[in-house]
Amino acid sequence: MSGPGRYEPRSMLGKVVHEFEETAIAVMLGLMTLLTFVNVIMRYVFNSMVIWGLEVVLVLFAWLVLFGIAYAFKVTANLGVDAIISVVSPRTRYVLALLSAACCLAYALLIAKGAWDYWAPFAGLQQTTGHWFPTGFDPNTRDRAFFETDQIPMLEWLRWLEDAINQGEAYSKMPRMVPYIILPVAAALMLFRIIQVTIRIVKGEQHSMIVSHEVEDALDEIAKTRRGQE
Amino acid sequence: MDVFILFAMVVGLMLIGVPIAVSLGLSSILFMLALSDTSLAAVAASLYNGMAGHYTLLAIPFFVLASSFMSTGGVARRIIRFSIALVGHLPGGLAIAGVFACMMFAALSGSSPATVVAIGTIVIAGMRQVGYTRDFAAGVIAVAGTLGILIPPSIVMVVYASATDVSVGRMFLAGVIPGLLAGFMLMTTIYVMARVRNLPKGEWLGWGEVWSSGRDAGWGLMLIVIILGGIYGGIFTPTEAAAVAAVYAFLIACFVYRDMGPLARPEGERNLTLLDRPIALVTAFFHRDIRNTLFEAGKLTVTLMFIIANALILKHVLTDEQIPQQIAGAMLAAGFGPVMFLVIVNVILLIGGQFMEPSGLIVIVAPLVFPIAMELGIDPIHLGIIMVVNMEIGMITPPVGLNLFVTSGVAGMPMMRVVRAALPFLAVLFVFLILITYVPIISTWLPTLMMGPEILVR
Repeated sequence: MSGPGRYEPRSMLGKVVHEFEETAIAVMLGLMTLLTFVNVIMRYVFNSMVIWGLEVVLVLFAWLVLFGIAYAFKVTANLGVDAIISVVSPRTRYVLALLSAACCLAYALLIAKGAWDYWAPFAGLQQTTGHWFPTGFDPNTRDRAFFETDQIPMLEWLRWLEDAINQGEAYSKMPRMVPYIILPVAAALMLFRIIQVTIRIVKGEQHSMIVSHEVEDALDEIAKTRRGQE
Repeated sequence: MDVFILFAMVVGLMLIGVPIAVSLGLSSILFMLALSDTSLAAVAASLYNGMAGHYTLLAIPFFVLASSFMSTGGVARRIIRFSIALVGHLPGGLAIAGVFACMMFAALSGSSPATVVAIGTIVIAGMRQVGYTRDFAAGVIAVAGTLGILIPPSIVMVVYASATDVSVGRMFLAGVIPGLLAGFMLMTTIYVMARVRNLPKGEWLGWGEVWSSGRDAGWGLMLIVIILGGIYGGIFTPTEAAAVAAVYAFLIACFVYRDMGPLARPEGERNLTLLDRPIALVTAFFHRDIRNTLFEAGKLTVTLMFIIANALILKHVLTDEQIPQQIAGAMLAAGFGPVMFLVIVNVILLIGGQFMEPSGLIVIVAPLVFPIAMELGIDPIHLGIIMVVNMEIGMITPPVGLNLFVTSGVAGMPMMRVVRAALPFLAVLFVFLILITYVPIISTWLPTLMMGPEILVR
């Protein structure tokens, strides 16, 4: 229902990026599962635990989902309601698709401002001013670069952060700016993908931003085999 | 009035084809920015903490992963073979076996559309071969597939537990008896229809077949034992149970069933054993099949959690504005008792369940109705089961029930024919809903028995 077929990357770069995105999603989920599993085993067999395990798993969970949102927009995997858009005339559907693309753009822009404003103080940078729209940078932003995570150990190759943002003071744990960095990154990626999708919709290459259920791919496959048999 | 505008906006956006997650998020953000001095930074923070701050929701990716490993055609075929061996000889046997297989598969997968696809593709074709009409077959599977969210482990229940702070373990236990009861009611209906309409029955294949197919399917079904046993035995938390289940499902799929991974061979050939290729113990972790399964589960997690995280933003708006309390006050002032209240909940969810992904709907509706239910003295576990059953029915209620849509795709027939075919069984589920709504003990007996009476904190 979502348009002509499944998303296929066309250019060489597109293929590499596509592969990277899918593998990153797979690896993050795999790591979360293994870490949680290992901690259960450690508790029962060795009577100990990886102390930073749970916190890292939760960070990975947030990274997986936030990073994945852009991918979901790219391949049109977001769930939605197609009760109306599947019955109206192609012209109305085109207008509705443009409207919903505009809504997604507005959402992504608002989230992008929010993501920056939340992350910036943790990285010793300035928040933007303005309630709705960024109207400039706020020089009075309270620096929060000294905030650390609860348990995650500091990585040696990130020590340069101490001079860069923490006035040379050593971090004993990973600073919060590291896990939180996914927020501005994911927001930027999401904005980028939504712009791409919007262009596809304007050009008429895609008819909506949603699928109506999670097994769309499986149903396509079944329909294909059925056509093959008949 | 404000609330009305908020909800109208959410629904309006959804209907014009905006992704559910964005409809929820955008409406809440606009509402928040316009009416309060909340900053966008706080919105971004709650989006991040939707995942990083919810240990209970962490069970979702693991359950999704476990079910992805178990949703292969191979597992479905084994479960169906076992069901046929058990009940295939009754009148209407294959249809009854289909319901039974859906119940077992539901326990592995926790998602209704996935159950319809996995069991439906095999059973509907099989039923047509032995002489059932396509309509009857599709009707049975569409309805039986909805059991996926009622029989534990269920993602929807995890979401409910997380939204209302009740125990996941209790919710899972509470789903057991209603799940069995619903399956039993459906099977009895089919049995009676089969007697009246003289539907085909299969042959009794003997206890040998029951034993051997049961042993084969048992590897997969052990998953439920691990999850439920692990939680109630106090061995691990529901989240850990889900992770252990995912690892177990990986091992079974890769090394026992060998439907995927380095030991799998194309259909028709004999799979390799571990002795043929011991290196598989290492390569399995990097095999393309495994990467694809992880990715598929990851993608589903992303789309579900994107909705849930945005629904959590909406929940913040509602609680900040004290909206549930206002509604509760209004309802109590109007003199509504528990019965009237439950009817209203029924209606809201039946309508909502048609349009929306169940877990997102729960996140929004639960915080609205939960405080009211507490005021009226309704048991939180009971309320949870009512909500789940309602959404089950929403999925097969015309005009736009999700399961109807999926079934029409699987069976290759128009939506309206599936609707008509599912009607008699839909009626059964309605009776079931009334039973569940007004006889709380069906839901609360088992959790109270196993875990003691619950302590209500208001």
